[in-house]
Amino acid sequence: MVLAANLLSANVGLVIWLTVVFLALLLLLRRYAWGPITTALSEREKTIAASMNRAEEALAESRRIQESNQQARREAEQDAQRLLREAHEEAQRIRDREAQRTQEEITAMREQAREEIERDKERALQALRSEVSDLAILAAEKVLQENLDTSRQRALVNRFIDGLTSHGGNNQPPYQA
Amino acid sequence: MSVLAAEDGEFDAVHHTADAYYLDFLPIGKVELPRIFILRSESDGYGLRVFRSTKNALQSNEFAAKFETDTTIYVTEDSLHTLISEGKHLDAKLIPINDQSAIILDLSMTKHLVFALLASGILLAIFVQLANRYKRGIGRTSAPRGLVQNLFETLVIFVRDDIAVPNLGKQHYQRFLPYLLTAFFFILTCNLLGLVPFGATATSNLNITAVLAAFTFVLTQTNGSKDHWRHVFWPPGMPVLVKILLIPTEIMGLFTKPIALAIRLFANLTAGHLVILSLIGMIFTFTNLFGEAVGYGVVPISLGFTLFVMCLEVLIAFIQAYIFTILSALFIGMAIAEHSHSEAH
Repeated sequence: MVLAANLLSANVGLVIWLTVVFLALLLLLRRYAWGPITTALSEREKTIAASMNRAEEALAESRRIQESNQQARREAEQDAQRLLREAHEEAQRIRDREAQRTQEEITAMREQAREEIERDKERALQALRSEVSDLAILAAEKVLQENLDTSRQRALVNRFIDGLTSHGGNNQPPYQA
Repeated sequence: MSVLAAEDGEFDAVHHTADAYYLDFLPIGKVELPRIFILRSESDGYGLRVFRSTKNALQSNEFAAKFETDTTIYVTEDSLHTLISEGKHLDAKLIPINDQSAIILDLSMTKHLVFALLASGILLAIFVQLANRYKRGIGRTSAPRGLVQNLFETLVIFVRDDIAVPNLGKQHYQRFLPYLLTAFFFILTCNLLGLVPFGATATSNLNITAVLAAFTFVLTQTNGSKDHWRHVFWPPGMPVLVKILLIPTEIMGLFTKPIALAIRLFANLTAGHLVILSLIGMIFTFTNLFGEAVGYGVVPISLGFTLFVMCLEVLIAFIQAYIFTILSALFIGMAIAEHSHSEAH
């Protein structure tokens, strides 16, 4: 019984001592330990939160930049393709135009050549005609010199002329009246 | 004499758990603590008497020794000398020889006070150094480094985030955080100091737990909101008759909370130590009852149980520190809370 009382015995001196000790401990720790520690902890937490925010923002920013880069690249590719296509078309057009002009030139040259040939032919016919009439006159003179009758002369001349004509056109014997 | 027959075959667990005026470094010896008395005498008025030890106090011829178990008063030098040589003077009650003077206040150092001071010293050493680390920037701008900083930071953050903030709210917790941290670490250190060799548990002393609970009580009542006091003296929302019944209950409730705090901490820590000492004491009891062979036979069982309870004690050291702190936070939180009375209670 006495021993149990020993465990529960009140000790006013101890109470006073401990009140002083604990109060001093509380004030000292609050001033020199808890203050700096809790301030540092909350500061660090704020820093971490802020850095995480910044990191998130940076990530979002980089995503945005990447997105716009991709957009720009897509546009550039489209531009390049368009330019290529246009160049192709331009080349085709130039080629076509060139070909057409060549064709026209060839046609014009051919036309010119034909006209020239026609003209030469005309000139040749003209020359031939005058030659023929000279020959006719010559022949007439010879006929006259031989004194032939008019009908025979005429028949002779006609046969001659016919023979000339058919010589130029179909190959028929001269004496087929 | 057998080694198992300690203390004349007696092993008194309660005596080892109770407070004392000496530090016990058994088997090396005992260190007596200073005795400080405030005396009042008819002729001299108030006076302060300080002695290096209980022995010195008795040898000064100013005090006689008395035991609560008998009525004998040891006054003569011879009887005191016998008492001191037997080492029994440490358990005696000191009374002034001079009839005219009386001890007004016994401010003597005790075992538990020494360990409370030791705990305070340890806390100051650890946390002031830790605070300096934070001031240097380690843990503030960079990550905390080292076992000590990480360990204590975890505990500090635990007290802040799991005890203070949930019970006190975001706006108020900072005001009470220093007290909660101090109480938590002081109780924890005191609890753990009781588990080291030659240690004693300051928190197994009702006087000490009462002081701690008184701090919570004072903080609770001085910070009580208008709502808190209205609840105590004029509980809203009920008939007048019920109010009259409730008011005494509410007033009692103000005191039962801190009293429960004090007794819970004291009882848990005392019980743990009594169990450990009783398990050890089984060895001596069995030796006394059945002889030395049985005594040795009990040793492994007894030590096995002791080890188990020791582990449990470490757990209890943390749990009780936590419970005291969270209940303090809860009581303070309830008192500072302001809420509208349209709420149901």
